[in-house]
Amino acid sequence: MVNRVEMENRIIPYKMLYEAVASTQGLVDGILPAHGIPSLKLGLGHIKSVMEDFIVKAGEGLPIIGHHFSFPTEYLYCFECVPVCIEATSYFLAALLPNGSEPYYDLITNWGHPFHTCSSQKGTMGMTLDDLFKFEAIITPTAPCDNTYASYPFFKYHKNIPLITPDLPFLKAEKSYRYHAEEIKLGLEKLGKVIGQEPNYNKLKQVLEVENQVTNLQMEIFELKKATPCPVENMFNVMAAAAQIYLAGREEKLEFYRQMLEIAKFRYKKKEHHAGEEKIRSIWPYMIVFFDLAMGEWLDRHLGMSILFDIFNYNFADPINTKSDLETLFYGMAKKAMEAPMTKQSAEFYYPFIETCVQLAKDFSADCFIFTSHLGCKQFGSVPQLLREALRDEVGIPMLLIDLDVGDARFASEKIIREKIKLFAQTLL
Amino acid sequence: MSLENDPFLNISYSIINPYIEDWQKSNRKVVGYYCTYIPEELLHAAELIPFRIRATGTKDTDLADIYMVRFTCSFVRATLDLALRGNYDFLDGFLVCNSCDHSRRMFELFNLKVFNRENFNKKVPQFYLALPHVITDEGFEWYKKEVEELKEELEKAYQIKEITNEMLLESINIYNENRKLLRNIHKLRVQEKPKLTGSEFLQINMANSSIPKDIANQELNRIISALKSRKAIDVSNKKRILLVGSIVDDIDFTQLIENSGAFIASDFLCFGTRNFNDDVQLVNYDDPLENITKRLYYRLSCPRMMDDHLRRLDFLKEEINRAKVDGVLLQRINNCDLHGCDNMLFTHELKELDIPVLNIDREFYQSDTTRLQTRIEAFIEMI
Ligand code: SF4
Ligand code: SF4
Repeated sequence: MVNRVEMENRIIPYKMLYEAVASTQGLVDGILPAHGIPSLKLGLGHIKSVMEDFIVKAGEGLPIIGHHFSFPTEYLYCFECVPVCIEATSYFLAALLPNGSEPYYDLITNWGHPFHTCSSQKGTMGMTLDDLFKFEAIITPTAPCDNTYASYPFFKYHKNIPLITPDLPFLKAEKSYRYHAEEIKLGLEKLGKVIGQEPNYNKLKQVLEVENQVTNLQMEIFELKKATPCPVENMFNVMAAAAQIYLAGREEKLEFYRQMLEIAKFRYKKKEHHAGEEKIRSIWPYMIVFFDLAMGEWLDRHLGMSILFDIFNYNFADPINTKSDLETLFYGMAKKAMEAPMTKQSAEFYYPFIETCVQLAKDFSADCFIFTSHLGCKQFGSVPQLLREALRDEVGIPMLLIDLDVGDARFASEKIIREKIKLFAQTLL
Repeated sequence: MSLENDPFLNISYSIINPYIEDWQKSNRKVVGYYCTYIPEELLHAAELIPFRIRATGTKDTDLADIYMVRFTCSFVRATLDLALRGNYDFLDGFLVCNSCDHSRRMFELFNLKVFNRENFNKKVPQFYLALPHVITDEGFEWYKKEVEELKEELEKAYQIKEITNEMLLESINIYNENRKLLRNIHKLRVQEKPKLTGSEFLQINMANSSIPKDIANQELNRIISALKSRKAIDVSNKKRILLVGSIVDDIDFTQLIENSGAFIASDFLCFGTRNFNDDVQLVNYDDPLENITKRLYYRLSCPRMMDDHLRRLDFLKEEINRAKVDGVLLQRINNCDLHGCDNMLFTHELKELDIPVLNIDREFYQSDTTRLQTRIEAFIEMI
């Protein structure tokens, strides 16, 4: 007989997340007017119900599988399991808890994890060190960054958690997709053995079909953002990043995007801006600041600055062909994984990243770029100046560079960051 | 016999050296590279000198700081700085593999900012190798193809009709000989009464990576004879240290350690054991390139290989016994996640062996000498 509480206690941080989501949602519902920040209201509602489901499933004894965000969550739904995204958990807690993930960052840093290594892993590593997570297995591609291959061995060698590592080549080429496809397949088979389940590829196909539909909706929203004013509020970027992971492959995700598309279309027709007036159109080619959930809304309201997109909202892979054989399926999965935000930019040279940014600036009439130079991301550590020069020479717009840790306010606080953006905005108006 | 002012060891103080200048006078080429995972034998067979890029002696990185944010590895930043100042203009080729995020991005930066500088008119071919991050059969097959493609690219870029198996076999012999000689010198260091210091050993390794291998072998033979007749160094009142971690390419750092009451009896470094521990095994004479790749891929790894930590730990344990080490000094250059995390695991694992361990971070250039010295001295005293 399964001891439900004991089983649930394998994912204590998810319980914390559930509480945090529920109370934030309560607050949002209580304070905001009926039409206020719809992405936040809708997103939190969906995430809350999915979290609830995860906790129930953990209570029933389903295996807890950790994964890197570069291994798309939906791929794990060929198993009956509770997926836990290592990076998203650190950052979602950073966004929702009063002290963020700081106690867990400190725990693992005191254990020896270098201060400069990515906080997205640091948080969950700290939680695992403290046995708040009990993973049956963890799967991660060998990408997108040094932090990944450096930090994940902790789970294997210190916590003795089986670690499965489908290799992902740092080369954008046809042969890479084929190689990675085989690695994903072998990885899932290996994972199945560890947790005592056969991968159910029919179920996987269904989930991937949901994701294909989501991609179409995402593309429509993306196109609408070309309009002035941008018909989507800044908060959407945060919620989309969260939905990408927590709602992966589920009806809730489709529903979220359908609802957001309707709202965007409505605003587009009325030429309406969520917060009144759009004065500055910005592109954040990299990440937004996760520990300051309210920053997007502040930019909308106080500076009239739209964040047209961050890295999680302008990379779209082709839909995966689910109607053919398994080889085609895995090929599509590999391609999608390699086109995913951050993995794509990490595994190829800088040139396409810079080209994409220049093109986005032109197509979406951007006034400026804001590059959040995240302490962890060494693979992006030598692109900011190249990008700045390209934007200046080819589009004639400036870029603000901010050194920070997107998950830890102690490196650069929200006050400092907001102040920098405010001063930058003044130079634009 | 003194190695002080030995012309071979002196090569380690500078980037360019007379051997390279002579080589290039006869219109032969030099290819710069960053990492021990590149097939040096293949370049050698193509009559190219593989030159390991370093930043020895650099004291600041003003120019490179424009292009690399401050939380990147200061070693890589220092190499870029030198390149932006023209110190690597002698290169006729540039080979990068994805060893770590910092060095990998030099592909683009050298392309856009070094080889594209105003008044720099040489066309420098660039090559890239995508190296897997795990050690598996599939990964080996992948890397083998990458190396085969590199061979074709080299032939094309330098108009070589064919890099034949004979040429490769000859290079394998020269390189195996080179590694054997380095291992022999290493033996003279690990012994109870060592014939050379850790700093001298580092210089030998750096010089070895900066000149044609045929000449290097002659020089190493000369050094071995000299060392054999040299009086042993008195290390009786010094603590024997195993030095582990990020790249060390400047004796300022090793001397700081050795002047603090320690003797670096062994190491686990790129300009050290990691580079010469394994030989190419000639199992398949019909495909020497496969043998070269096998050595590269399966050899004693560095932390960029994410599934091979235990083999690295075993190596440390062996070296601790072999070199009769009193303490282990783990170090990383700031922002080096790879060595930082490997060192984190070592710190806990070595505790079980009851051996004193110090885990430090540092900048590449010795801006924080006093802090480092204090910590190292305290560690040595504690041992
Ligand atoms: S360093 Fe960057 S790419 Fe790597 S895990 Fe952190 S956020 Fe992601
Ligand atoms: S010290 Fe670390 S970060 Fe620097 S080049 Fe070496 S592996 Fe890369």
